Amino acid sequence: MLPDRKEGEFHKIKIKVNGTVYEFVVDYDIKPWHTLAYVLREKLGLTGLKTGCDEGACGACTVIMDGKAVLSCMTLAVEADGGEILTIEGLSAKDPVIQAFAEQCEPGYGTAMQCGYCTPGFVMASKALLSENPNPTVEEIKEALSGNICRCGCYPAIVKAVLHAAERMRGEVRR
Amino acid sequence: MTKGFKSRVTRKYIGTYRPKIDGWEKASGRAKYVDDLTLKSKFPGMLYAKVLRSPHPHAKIKRVDTSKAEALPGVKAVITYRDPEVASLRPTHQAWTDGADPPTTYDRMWWPKYRDRRVLSDHVCWVGDEAGVAVAAESEEIAEEALKLIEVEWEALPFVLDLEEAMKPGAPIIHPEIVPDSNVLPPDPSGGPDVVVERGDVEREFAKADVVVEARTRYHNPTHALMENWCCLVEWNDDKLTVWSNAYEAHQTSMHFSEMLGVPLNKVRAICPYIGAQMGRADEGEQMFFLFTALLAKKTGRPVKFKHSRREAFHNTRTAQLGYCKIGAKKDGTITAIHLRLTGDSGAYMGHTMASLKITQPTYIQSCLFNVLSLKLEAYAVYTNKVPSGIMRGIGHVQTNFIMGLAIDMLAEKLGMDPIELVLKNFGWAPLPNKSLESVLREGAKRIGWERRRKPGEGPTYEGAKRRGIGFSFHNNWHASWQELRRGPVQVVVRVNCDGTVNLEAPTVETGTGSNTCCVLACAEALGVNAKDVHWTSTVDTETCVKDQVQTDSAVSHIFPEIIHIAALDAKRQLLELAAPELGVTPEELEIEDGRIYIKSAPKKGILLKDLLSGRGLGPILSSASKTLPSEITGVPYVAAFVEVEVDTETGQVKVLKMVVVHDLGTVMFPSGAEGQQVGGQCLSLGETLTEEIIYDEETGIPLNFNLINYKVPMMPDFPDIEPVIMEVWKGAGEYGACGMGESVLSCTPRAVANAVYNAIGLRIDDLPITPDKVLKALGKI
Repeated sequence: MLPDRKEGEFHKIKIKVNGTVYEFVVDYDIKPWHTLAYVLREKLGLTGLKTGCDEGACGACTVIMDGKAVLSCMTLAVEADGGEILTIEGLSAKDPVIQAFAEQCEPGYGTAMQCGYCTPGFVMASKALLSENPNPTVEEIKEALSGNICRCGCYPAIVKAVLHAAERMRGEVRR
Repeated sequence: MTKGFKSRVTRKYIGTYRPKIDGWEKASGRAKYVDDLTLKSKFPGMLYAKVLRSPHPHAKIKRVDTSKAEALPGVKAVITYRDPEVASLRPTHQAWTDGADPPTTYDRMWWPKYRDRRVLSDHVCWVGDEAGVAVAAESEEIAEEALKLIEVEWEALPFVLDLEEAMKPGAPIIHPEIVPDSNVLPPDPSGGPDVVVERGDVEREFAKADVVVEARTRYHNPTHALMENWCCLVEWNDDKLTVWSNAYEAHQTSMHFSEMLGVPLNKVRAICPYIGAQMGRADEGEQMFFLFTALLAKKTGRPVKFKHSRREAFHNTRTAQLGYCKIGAKKDGTITAIHLRLTGDSGAYMGHTMASLKITQPTYIQSCLFNVLSLKLEAYAVYTNKVPSGIMRGIGHVQTNFIMGLAIDMLAEKLGMDPIELVLKNFGWAPLPNKSLESVLREGAKRIGWERRRKPGEGPTYEGAKRRGIGFSFHNNWHASWQELRRGPVQVVVRVNCDGTVNLEAPTVETGTGSNTCCVLACAEALGVNAKDVHWTSTVDTETCVKDQVQTDSAVSHIFPEIIHIAALDAKRQLLELAAPELGVTPEELEIEDGRIYIKSAPKKGILLKDLLSGRGLGPILSSASKTLPSEITGVPYVAAFVEVEVDTETGQVKVLKMVVVHDLGTVMFPSGAEGQQVGGQCLSLGETLTEEIIYDEETGIPLNFNLINYKVPMMPDFPDIEPVIMEVWKGAGEYGACGMGESVLSCTPRAVANAVYNAIGLRIDDLPITPDKVLKALGKI
């Protein structure tokens, strides 16, 4: 692989992404400075997450690592070695959070997304919140999502979507 | 919160609350944007382009040596301003940017006098300006490394950042090729004279007036800060050029490449998928990077990708503006004269600055100042060494509203009149009081609790130091169909498939406005099929679709539906004619609902579309329309914003407690989308009113906050409670007679907030953004 190194001198990392383990040889498959966002998008083609700022300011690259929401642009791929990553592609098509974001149309709030560029980041941050706190208050939702920018300004509708998702996840089915 | 709007005409789809048609695709991360479609794995031969950027606010390149960069392994091409194919390009930055407008081709461009920009110029005019050299390399890292190896000898030139300083004699001249001795731009045939409008005699009327007020405002230059940065990939093989990009209109992008690079239109293929918002950024469509990326693709014979970093995305702003307004009125509140002077900061290049100063004003004058007999409007643009200004959502109107709303508020106070009554007495499309304007103002006043408003500075105090106040502002909504005639024919295709499903071709780049949902609903409505059976194609591809509608003017949500209505009714006619003999009646006796044709007098007798069409080929029904919009001049509807603020007199913080945004829309096409615009637009608007600001180091001209940490876009905890109110009072021409709204949701916000701040503390802050330091300064605390 690398002509100047022998077997055993390669540094390999393993990352489990959406249930599948991927192995990367550092310096060959990926560089030590590659971010998790870069590797997920460019190497694995998981383009749901977006790199809106590449400096941890917008939240569009949010994925779940070992159960917690992380900014994949601020996480080096090598830091994810041995970790378990969930990206939006790993969610079921009928995931209650996806459904709640997609269907939000309660009068007075607008839709939970417009251009949709930030939406996967919001969905993953919400997913992490709801797995820890299945019954969040509006204030708790605002706090949990305070690192995500929606320039289209769908914040009030996103809060609604998260509340609706929580109801669905608690089995309080609504139409 | 509002209980929800009820349409004045009950329809099955149009006017109903429902999810966006692309909601699931976007919520699930499946929606593809240009960066997602142009991964290296999909284009293995792809190179990455980078451009050298100026470290100086104003400079010339005296000498450049690219040999070290060219020698770097992995660098595949370097182009500079000295190359003949670069030097021969004659960009305007203002030409065919707007596919809605007549200047589609080079010879019909806007702003022919202001050809102040070159591709890869040796003359740079702001810190960050694209300068002299572009490279293409195997990776982004190598391209960045190559830029560092370029040796440039700069001749730093004197610079000026401040608009008023730039106008003074002796100021450094930024574009001597345009104006040899001044930074003030000369009049231009497209923009019109410096005195845009003059009627009556303002000076005589001011002398006769019982009351005169003079207002001055300072608007700054916020930026779009869209979540998705500019990105494109160009492939140029043999005689064919293909470009994937997040431009806001594919056909206009084709025209741009065709005109600039001499490729026939049918050999330029432009592909635009979903984009991460528009908000005016893409109206400055003639982006230089398209051209140097294409030249690099030609030179290397490989696909070349270029995208902005977040820092580079700060490359275009709203036009900063000094506003001046003098109003004369009689004691009874009749306004007799208005003198309005707008001075815009163009930044380093003219861009569409003149559009914000001159082109947008006539609609305001026509629909708001119709009744003012003596009127003078002057407008000037001035070069400075700052980020170029141009088009941003609400162009021109936001700044005009900010100055006019101040003058109105001052006049009302001086006359001792309620400002709402003053507005209704004087403003709006005749006859006065204008019904639409009155409706939005009365509704907004009711919802905010206008009667709670006290005299300036006499409002309630909370927690010892927090003062509350209420303010409002109004504006015309613009972009009714008669204002969109310059688009020419609007093209759509409706195809009913043999299984009864429908493909709707109404191509437009989906920027997030929800116009695609409006199109699907209009098709389902007119044809009588279920909306879920209508498929709209999200990716616009000039090789396969009819002309796409440019996402400008906030108007696609209603102009497409008007024409879709015509095409879908024609498809319906064809279906009924097919069904009539099968059911033994005449077509007139039939109706379609939910994909089933039935006899109106005997609804149980009918036939499903799929049964009717089965066996008639794969595309049995095709209907297309290419029609101009209704031209009847119907006036426009109005909008208003009402705001309650709390000003902390200890910290200077202004907090919006409640906001009511009221729109008359003629017909509300898609209420969930419309309310989303009303609420969501405030992210841009409250941001530029209170927190967003580009900060420059005055000594060096270097912008200091080109990132989303220090350029403060509102986030969830900052967002106030906003009540969206949509109404149907006015009506335009056509089946729906709706009006665009995406821009007018912003026009009233800065002024409504500023007036509320005045109402709270009795001190005016008319210099945006209204930051705590300005509040404390006004209070005499710092």
